Amino acid sequence: MKGKCYIQGMAAISPQHTFEGDSSAQPMVAGSSNMLSCVEPDYRTFIPANSLRRMSRMLKIGLTTALKCMQDSGIAVPGAIVTGTGKGSLQDTERFIKEIRDYEERALNPTPFIQSTYNAVNGLIALQQKCTQYNNTFVHRGFSFENALLDSMLLLHEGAENVLAGAFEEITGEHFYIKSRIGQWKSETVPNNALHEHFSPGTISGEGAAFFLLDAKPSDKSYAAIAGMKTLYKPSPEKPGTALQQFLQQHGLSMPDVDLVLTGSNADSNYDFYYDVLDGMLQLPFKHLCGEYDTASAFALWLGAKMVKEQQVPAQWFPMLQQQPAQLKNVLIYNHFFGEQHTFMLLQSI
Amino acid sequence: MAERVFITGMGMITAIGDNVAGNLHNLRLLRTGLGYTRHLDTIYKETLPVAEVVHTTEQLHELAGVAGMEGYTRTTLLGLVAMREALQQAGISDVQDEPTGFINASTVGGMCDTENVYFDIINPEKSGDFLKFIDTLDCADCTQRIADTVGLNEHIATISTACSSSANALMFGARLIRAGVLRRVICGGTEALTRFTLNGFNSLKNIDKRPCMPFDQDRNGLNLGEGAAYLVLESETLVQERQSAVLAELRGYANSNEAFHPTAPSPEGDGAYAAMKNALDMGGLTPADVQYVNVHGTATLTNDVAEGMALQRLFGQQTPKFSSTKPFTGHTLAAAGAIEAIYSVLAIQHQLVFPNLHFKDKMEELYIVPETRLLEGYPVQNVISNSFGFGGNNASLLISKYEG
Repeated sequence: MKGKCYIQGMAAISPQHTFEGDSSAQPMVAGSSNMLSCVEPDYRTFIPANSLRRMSRMLKIGLTTALKCMQDSGIAVPGAIVTGTGKGSLQDTERFIKEIRDYEERALNPTPFIQSTYNAVNGLIALQQKCTQYNNTFVHRGFSFENALLDSMLLLHEGAENVLAGAFEEITGEHFYIKSRIGQWKSETVPNNALHEHFSPGTISGEGAAFFLLDAKPSDKSYAAIAGMKTLYKPSPEKPGTALQQFLQQHGLSMPDVDLVLTGSNADSNYDFYYDVLDGMLQLPFKHLCGEYDTASAFALWLGAKMVKEQQVPAQWFPMLQQQPAQLKNVLIYNHFFGEQHTFMLLQSI
Repeated sequence: MAERVFITGMGMITAIGDNVAGNLHNLRLLRTGLGYTRHLDTIYKETLPVAEVVHTTEQLHELAGVAGMEGYTRTTLLGLVAMREALQQAGISDVQDEPTGFINASTVGGMCDTENVYFDIINPEKSGDFLKFIDTLDCADCTQRIADTVGLNEHIATISTACSSSANALMFGARLIRAGVLRRVICGGTEALTRFTLNGFNSLKNIDKRPCMPFDQDRNGLNLGEGAAYLVLESETLVQERQSAVLAELRGYANSNEAFHPTAPSPEGDGAYAAMKNALDMGGLTPADVQYVNVHGTATLTNDVAEGMALQRLFGQQTPKFSSTKPFTGHTLAAAGAIEAIYSVLAIQHQLVFPNLHFKDKMEELYIVPETRLLEGYPVQNVISNSFGFGGNNASLLISKYEG
């Protein structure tokens, strides 16, 4: 996609203290298992109590993050709502599967079925904000948020304003177990703050939601510009290297122009080699903060935009940082999801 | 100037046919695909009608050209059958001869197979063959399996907006073409019957125990169906370059949200009205230019009132011929938008209006009634195809005859 878009507001709920107050002043949250869970806020300030009672966890996390993002941008009604989620509300899906069995298909409560539909969060945001415009939900593993972002850029290109783009994901104990059966997680227990010291097969799981209010024009409020994005599906080992060169070139850059790369490196010895193409660039990994999940790139975008805006790396979250970068003009994100869906995103300061 | 978007290939499988020609044949014979399931393990086997694809999953492996291969869910296989036909019809022997996008749609991914092994998967004491279905839990699995089997690797995505999913897939593909991101995108959706969705809609009291009766006063809900459909979309430039045979033009489209209720449409059909109106505006046409509307027409109490009101608001006394083809195919959820887009193209190609089966009495809320006869030789130039879903997600497509 040609043309930049600008982040005019944003919010994130994650396993770190990213939602309230000055997140830069917060210490890193360190878990004790391989399953990182969100630090959840008090939802009552965002959602009326009677609605809250009926909503499952994923809906609360997704809706609240979206509402906070709107608040942050100062826009009441977005021009479109586009989201990505790999798995939607897992709790509801699991619950409905079980209730079908336990009640032998009789007298079922429809609520978990309704909330398990992947576009349930989008519908709720539209309902709460009275947004009758374009509304779409992408559900494709490590390309879920990426396609939502691409769709948003298309909308801005077509003349839409104030597009709300976001992603949400949850992990449950049951799903964590399921994915452990195909080796997605490390067999040894690794606390997230020690993740990068445990290079072995598998990684740690995570979850979170991040939303962005995007517009085609910058303003005083802009956090950063999203200058471009490139996705690669199941690339050959050589492909990311050449694709990265091309991607940077398209934006008039070469590797030394990139001030910092946020990498999806997650200490998984099965797929970590892809990140070797970044050798020689200043890199910081981010998955010790959020864990691995389908839409972790949305967390990276939130983190990158925050750094670009503040022109500073939050040092307490990055113990591996030796010194602050001289400037944060061009920040690259390179993430992939278990080696299949690869993404480059370029953030630039305003 | 944005590029025009043309439909150059179509492939499908439904309860009434394994390919486009088979579907057309049975549409003309007024042959419904509704019956009782032979493949789904449910207590509603003999009470809730469904429109099931006749083949067993093993037979679908054969049809899809992947006999003996493992890990393909019924969702994937249905999709693969439709994809192969679409590619063949578009004259594409190598999908990589032009960067080609694949925008798929799914509501519950491989649930049809995972729901049968789910309790083994979560049981640490069990191990075995079923583990190959672990990755089929999500919606991306079917998309990637289909993409990998035919070699699509340029840009892939899966959309899930309930019953409007594949209409949104077509729209997203068309927008990628108009923005110049890609020149060829294959769009559509695939859906297999599952206990999960059957019980979901049944728990909402949305399923009729009789064959569904869209737009009838006595209607009492939908019947689920399964199937898959893909359409090859090409930019005008590529059509000229490849000398592609154009089947129809995707001239307009619109997506709107009602912001009314999580599962029910507004009684006045605000979202349906906005979607149809905006699609027409985009295509530079007026209501008088439309000869046929392939309605969403699920036969649920609320959909048909809302959609009917929207038709009356948009077209008034001059409402064009309209019919729901759901009594043929059942409601195929994520695949419905693409299946009905193909039916819309067929209506244009063969100058046909399909009948709305099972209609007897006019709804008391409406003054319009659907077309109940098969109309041959009917001058169809422009068709609106509607898909409306949970979460207030509405989508309308405007499909037009290609006139160079």
